[in-house]
Amino acid sequence: MVKEPIDLWIERHEREPDVVAKEKAERFLKAVELGVPDRVPIAGVAGDFLCQYTGISWYDLSYNLEKIPPAVLKFVHDFPHDWGIIFAPMMLEGFVLALAFPDFPDFSNTIRFLTGPVHDILKDKWSQWPGRELREDVHPQFRGGEFMEPKEYKKLIENPVEFLHCVILPRACPGLGAPGSPQWNGAWVRVGMVMQRILSFQLQLFVEIGKRGYPAFPITNAYTSADVIGDFLRYPTGAMLDMRRYPDDFKAACEALVEPILKVATAIPPIPPLTFFFIPLHLNEMLPPKLYNEFYWPYLKKVIETLVEKGYKGFVFFEGDHLPHVETILELPKGWGVAWFERPRDFIKAWETLKGHTTVMGGVPPSLIVGGTPEKIDEYLKDLLSKVKPEGGFILSPGVNELPKGTPVANVRAYINAGLKHGAY
Amino acid sequence: MSSSLEVELERLLKSILDLNEEKALEITENLLTSNVDPLKILEVIKKAAEEIGGRFERGEYFVADLVMAGEILKGISEKVMPKLREVGRSRETVGKLLIGTVEGDIHDIGKNIVVTMAEAVGFEVVDLGVDVPPKKFVEAIKQHNPNIVGLSGLLTLAIDSMKKTVDAIRETGLREKVKIIIGGGRVDQYACEYVGADAWTNDAATGVRIMLKWVREKEGGG
Ligand code: B12
Repeated sequence: MVKEPIDLWIERHEREPDVVAKEKAERFLKAVELGVPDRVPIAGVAGDFLCQYTGISWYDLSYNLEKIPPAVLKFVHDFPHDWGIIFAPMMLEGFVLALAFPDFPDFSNTIRFLTGPVHDILKDKWSQWPGRELREDVHPQFRGGEFMEPKEYKKLIENPVEFLHCVILPRACPGLGAPGSPQWNGAWVRVGMVMQRILSFQLQLFVEIGKRGYPAFPITNAYTSADVIGDFLRYPTGAMLDMRRYPDDFKAACEALVEPILKVATAIPPIPPLTFFFIPLHLNEMLPPKLYNEFYWPYLKKVIETLVEKGYKGFVFFEGDHLPHVETILELPKGWGVAWFERPRDFIKAWETLKGHTTVMGGVPPSLIVGGTPEKIDEYLKDLLSKVKPEGGFILSPGVNELPKGTPVANVRAYINAGLKHGAY
Repeated sequence: MSSSLEVELERLLKSILDLNEEKALEITENLLTSNVDPLKILEVIKKAAEEIGGRFERGEYFVADLVMAGEILKGISEKVMPKLREVGRSRETVGKLLIGTVEGDIHDIGKNIVVTMAEAVGFEVVDLGVDVPPKKFVEAIKQHNPNIVGLSGLLTLAIDSMKKTVDAIRETGLREKVKIIIGGGRVDQYACEYVGADAWTNDAATGVRIMLKWVREKEGGG
């Protein structure tokens, strides 16, 4: 059997993981600094495909910590990459929990994602979990919901943290009971115990992954004010309507949320050479430019600018088709961070707009990896890389790293192969 | 007088398309108090719904605009319907549509647009909401006796739920009584065949056109 580039890379991971890790770190840093590395960094994949390939269920990924390392370690061995974030068992959006505790820097970032075990305690209505509300073989689901009335904007504006903590949490999390009750206090103690366990599990897993040729950079978390409202308080549709019906309240609420968001983000200090802050965007593609520019972007921009000034770099996931708003990114300081695009109508256009200013990540439609052939994937990536590579500041990635069940193994290998082959500068 | 009515109806249409909720509702209110034929207002809704669908397809409207437009049309028709009944006019309904987002899926922005547009062209719509199990569809068919069943879903797993729903309808012997159309961002011809539906679409306007064709064919045929 002829060895493909990926096989040789796997062998190097086995033989000299330290060297490989160092190369990856340098390569990635170079791309983040808008420079030209030795090769375009390749981002990893996961999702249903990981479950199918390793045989682990979503239930186990969410609840059975001891089953996670064998699956994840096998997966990162067989599908090597330069950059990837393994979140399990931190699976779903839960930034509202961090915002309820912004003055506790020691754990605000730890509870920023919802996990199955915490869901069991809080019984939050924001999410549903495999083996609980859902079948064991399906991905946990974020459902969101409406937990605040429009007339309550005033209270949110007045004291966002207190409002989230004392009004929203009891509404959305029946497992907590009334604030101050034994159930409330006991539930939080339990959350603390559970998260302690999950945290030490993750640290250990990162060490193991690190030993296999994967560098890690610290990462903190931030959010967009309007998405706090859409995801956790008013439901996405409610937030869209509120922008038009209660514009002043909406803006004031966004303004009020900036400070606690920044507190959560800065709870983890920026450590050179690179500490990212991660922000996933949700309402962005659903808003027309007029609403985006008035209700969404100003507050997002403020969060990004403040954190960049403090020495962090941004890692922002621009969900959906962000092309209508892409020019606004140029308002940020050059080299502010990485913009990961899910599926802009025209990726090359996004790249052409931002190159030399923003590190751009993406470019590969997941549907190509799912439904294409190794030949088509190679051809597509060769063409893509011939267009985006010359200037540097580019990270190759699928639009989302979650690939569905049934994605052919040969296609995922073809994606990595093509990156290795055509990505060298 | 009639020309000033035309002007007002034109203003109503414009305020809907400008997504100016307050103004659209105010004009509607004024038209109704000056005893304008409510059917004229429904005509405007229909026109607006078509234009809204077109603008979304052309990328001029975004999801947030669709949601707002849907709310405005709903608000107007909530004002018009009682008036219609009051003046003893009934609107010609072209058929009955039973619709819902299938089990396991809660995406309903697209489905709600379909509801608004179908109502605008004269369908009586029964909306079962989201995460609707097959059993509930079957019961609702028995209860409401619709001509058409619409299944909406955006998740990959929704395709299986759609199939289960169609199977359940078949098993209870109701399949021949209804036409079934599936919709949502990810459905295609392949999904349609797998599910056993009669038609599929990724856009509400096309969907409504198909549904209208079905009810007309039926009329024509007998
Ligand atoms: C808004 C949204 C949400 C909101 C839903 C709000 C709501 N009330 O609908 C929230 C935040 C709750 C949400 C949750 C989730 N979502 Co979501 N969501 C979206 C998003 C961004 C937009 C969907 C939308 O409204 N589109 C606009 C409408 C107008 O389009 P449409 O539905 O296709 O409808 C049109 C036509 O198809 C047609 N139509 C629709 N239905 C019907 C029916 C009939 C009968 C007819 C004739 C026509 C018709 O008419 C419409 C107008 O033309 C999409 C991404 C995207 N841009 O598509 C992801 C997306 C659909 N979500 C996705 C996922 C994965 C999820 C979650 C599982 C995430 C998670 N892990 O928690 C959960 C699932 C919850 C659940 N059980 O359903 C994935 C689906 C991937 C997949 N293939 O399975 C998408 C594609 C995002 C992505 N790229 O990953 N989501």
